[in-house]
Amino acid sequence: MTKRSRLTASVLALTVAAGVLGACGSNNGNEPAGNAAGNTGGEGAAAAKDTITALLPPVSANFQANFKQMETEFNKQYPNLTLKIEPASWEDMTQKLDTQVNAGSPPDIAFMGSEGIAKYVPMGMVMDIKDVVTPEMIADFDEGPLKYMYNGEGLFGFPAYMEVHAIGGNKPFLEEAGIDWKKIQQSGWTFDEFREAIKKGVVKEGDTTKRYGFVFATAGVTSKDYLGILVKNAGMPAAFDKDLKYAYTSKNYLTLLTNIRQMIDDGSMPKELSSIDAGKRWNMFLTGQTMITGKGMAVFENSSRLNNEKLDANDGSAVKDSIKTDYVVLPVPSFAGQPAVANAIVDGYVTFRGKKEPTAEHKANVAKAAYFLASGQVAATTNSELFSAPITKSSREAMKSIESKQSDYNKAAVEHLLSTAAPARPDIPAELAAKAIKLETEVIVPKLQSLLAGETTPEKMYEDVKKAAIDTFGADGVVQD
Amino acid sequence: MGLYNNHLGNSLLKSARNAVIIILLLLFALATLFPIYFMIISSFGDPIEAGAVSYSIWPEKFSLESYKFFFNYSEYSYRWLANSLLVATVTMVSNVVFATMAGYAFAKISFRGSKVLFAILLGAMMIPYQVTQVPLYILIVNVFDISNTYRALIAPSLVTVYNIFLAKQFMSSIPKEILESAKVEGCSQFQILTRIVMPLSKTVMAVMAILTFMESWNTFFWPFLVTNTMDMQTIQVGLKNFRFANTTYFAPMMAGATVSALPMFILFFSLQKYFLEGVTVGAVKG
Amino acid sequence: MAREASTIKTRNRLNRGDGGWAYAFIAVALVVYAMFTAYPVISAFIISFQNYQPLGSTYVGFENYENVFKSALFWKAMGNTVIYTLLTVPVALLLSFGVAILIMPLRKWMQTSFKAIYYLPAVASGVALSVVWLWIFDPMQGGILNQLLGAFGIPSQNWLGSSSTSMFSLVLMSWLSSHGTSIIIYVAALLGIDNSYYEAADIDGASFLQKMWHIVIPCLKPTTLFLLVTGVIGSFQVFQNAYLMTGGGPDHSTTMVGLLIFDTAFKYFEFGDAAAQSLVLALVIAIMAFVQFKFLGKDVEY
Repeated sequence: MTKRSRLTASVLALTVAAGVLGACGSNNGNEPAGNAAGNTGGEGAAAAKDTITALLPPVSANFQANFKQMETEFNKQYPNLTLKIEPASWEDMTQKLDTQVNAGSPPDIAFMGSEGIAKYVPMGMVMDIKDVVTPEMIADFDEGPLKYMYNGEGLFGFPAYMEVHAIGGNKPFLEEAGIDWKKIQQSGWTFDEFREAIKKGVVKEGDTTKRYGFVFATAGVTSKDYLGILVKNAGMPAAFDKDLKYAYTSKNYLTLLTNIRQMIDDGSMPKELSSIDAGKRWNMFLTGQTMITGKGMAVFENSSRLNNEKLDANDGSAVKDSIKTDYVVLPVPSFAGQPAVANAIVDGYVTFRGKKEPTAEHKANVAKAAYFLASGQVAATTNSELFSAPITKSSREAMKSIESKQSDYNKAAVEHLLSTAAPARPDIPAELAAKAIKLETEVIVPKLQSLLAGETTPEKMYEDVKKAAIDTFGADGVVQD
Repeated sequence: MGLYNNHLGNSLLKSARNAVIIILLLLFALATLFPIYFMIISSFGDPIEAGAVSYSIWPEKFSLESYKFFFNYSEYSYRWLANSLLVATVTMVSNVVFATMAGYAFAKISFRGSKVLFAILLGAMMIPYQVTQVPLYILIVNVFDISNTYRALIAPSLVTVYNIFLAKQFMSSIPKEILESAKVEGCSQFQILTRIVMPLSKTVMAVMAILTFMESWNTFFWPFLVTNTMDMQTIQVGLKNFRFANTTYFAPMMAGATVSALPMFILFFSLQKYFLEGVTVGAVKG
Repeated sequence: MAREASTIKTRNRLNRGDGGWAYAFIAVALVVYAMFTAYPVISAFIISFQNYQPLGSTYVGFENYENVFKSALFWKAMGNTVIYTLLTVPVALLLSFGVAILIMPLRKWMQTSFKAIYYLPAVASGVALSVVWLWIFDPMQGGILNQLLGAFGIPSQNWLGSSSTSMFSLVLMSWLSSHGTSIIIYVAALLGIDNSYYEAADIDGASFLQKMWHIVIPCLKPTTLFLLVTGVIGSFQVFQNAYLMTGGGPDHSTTMVGLLIFDTAFKYFEFGDAAAQSLVLALVIAIMAFVQFKFLGKDVEY
């Protein structure tokens, strides 16, 4: 009795354990998921079946809703190919992608900012498609945005759009403060002009500020955007100058930091700036608590318009306490007498490879899929939803049938800003870029947070950054002026 | 309960004591509940975009639109709940069974290597998961090739060290004498486990069930990593899908969070009698 | 294996033939552990001596460990973690113990209600709750906590945005949201104390405090030890709160080791460094767990 039940227990336990093992082990002989499917598929005839996987965030409002349609369309165009799209939210997709990359099995295509490519180049996990793209594909793209997808000599995907991250104001408030926004849209402004303007935008009731002149989202990681957008207009369009010396040790950097603090001390920006996030500042814009907000993108005009429509409908669906707003695209002021350089953002479909060397066949198929996503109808839909100008001939064509709701003056302003955008810098080596990212995350962003919270001075922060930069790049590797 | 003097003799004094206790507990409850309260009242707001956050302490309206919005958002909303339910239930059952067995072995049976094995088990708890997640991902996705399956969602947490540790700590207070006398009467270890230890450990098993279910239900990162399609996602991953680039539908998200908390609450109430009665040795003997 | 062990053991005296049973009981746990816990940990150990690259790692000896020990940020994060642990774990233990004790004399329906109430924060999704906490800590005058303090005439604070209050904000959040589990475990343990102990004490005329000291506290020792060890482990690995609420800022005032490891692994892709950091952290935790077992566990009967 004793013996038998003991045996039963052991058998039971081991069966379950074996079941787990067996269940997991049964597929042991198979190829890893993801890229491998393509690797094995490409060797036969030209039309061999292949599957391309793509990890895509909600790029624009209705982007993810169209996945099924995109998959079908692609399959229609290339009957031997299957596009498998995996949805992910913005915040989580980097983490998922990074785990997959580290495990050696990323998707074939992932959507991300072009500056992210540098992170994956040193480990060799992004796939150069330069040799497999057709001349027609290349010819379809505008040269400027396409350049952003290069790193060194390699082409690592196709761009989806190029947009400007600047600032934006509420038209009635700008006019109330006597600001000639039309002129500024075309000819820009200096920091001193801007400082005066946002001072005038402040509305006070006793001691409490009812409306600020300027609010920029700087909570957590968004503080990186704030400094990043401003610094381009202070004579430092990239973290490295032409001679590949680290630029943020220049005197202009100190001037910029001083100016950042001045705007808060003037009372034009809230003193709690360091914990205002993207949602909060947009709420402040819609509820009339600020005249100018940042970062600003062209698509905000649409958000503002939609909320106005809801206010008109008066059905309680508009943002609580919001007022009618009219979004005007504005350039970032220039600092320290330097020229204004717009912060152009190119996001796109970046191509990855797995542990196994991909076959030329599979590479070509991935390029086809990336091109499919970045051009024609798909790109036209995305671009029109984002109020961003098309960057391929084919999508420009497709976009003709889509009615634009963007105002002409904002369209013109964005076009003007794009013409002042910093050129792509594929010449910055990936190792230097990686070091700069580390310096930014470990030193600059945390110090900027304390600067905004009033816990450190511009001079102290400048010294800290300079010291860390010299530690990282050596005294000869940084700009000294 | 024997801890408190029930025969104070003075019932007035007893009521006064209980009143003070209740007030203290209520105050603490108020502070603890506030975020939840806020989550629930926000869920009754209208399904409008970010910034529509009202910081008023009292609910301003009672609308179920956000709940509708949540369920209409994706055709898989119910599927997410069902997936979570399946994964959490299997994980819960397997943890209760295997952790109880292992906990008993470590607590009450002296066998060669028990101390060393337990220390090794415990040691692994101390490594942060941020680093083990990549090797684990390689194992599940590249080696076993079972990504996007229920097996991938369940296998790594079939039995956790936390639960073994919990079971062991509780069982260490079962008096040795009972087990020894059972043995003298000819019970095998298996019979001791099922007839004596398990009935005595109902409380800890119920606790374990609840905690495991909760942990599995609330876990986000692992299901997010190993699922590739919406129909295999769990509710937590689904909730995150709600977030958009710059706009967030707060009220529907809170509605989703409220809905996702319900199954755990139901489980709590269905198991609570085990916590409440407790199981005393005397009761078993008698 | 279990079978073989048991045959050997049965030759011994009757009540010593339990080893086989024990192995049978822990078999599944061990298999699951070996595959899904031990294997990744060993991998991490190997990676900690490598410059990890998915396409082929190279052995670098102790370089990663040197980087960890030389990094000022690592020690700062360690300091933050220790402060966070000291501020949260003991308070959490005291609060949940107190609540569990206070619940006991109440009527059953009240016990259930209170337990349900305290359990609630634990059942809600951490992601959704962190959004609510962000509202609570909203730095503007209209923020929930600022409104509350404003009623007492206390000026608005920039809770998460200033390094003087950011750590406290995270601690406050932990004080008010993470007791459900420990309360349930404590109540379960209290109910497990045999009534005969109290009866005997009553006969001796023991007071409430005497009963607490001589019966409750010793009987709850294994539970307290469990909660303390797991609490310290959890607190040392804390990641989600800092990640969702502050991202470690401002000026690294809330950068905990868990977050730093995450950043090292995924922001900088220095997986070898991250693995080394994890193992150093694990060692620190292990030493502390050992100390706790040594001092608290010595008269717990196993």
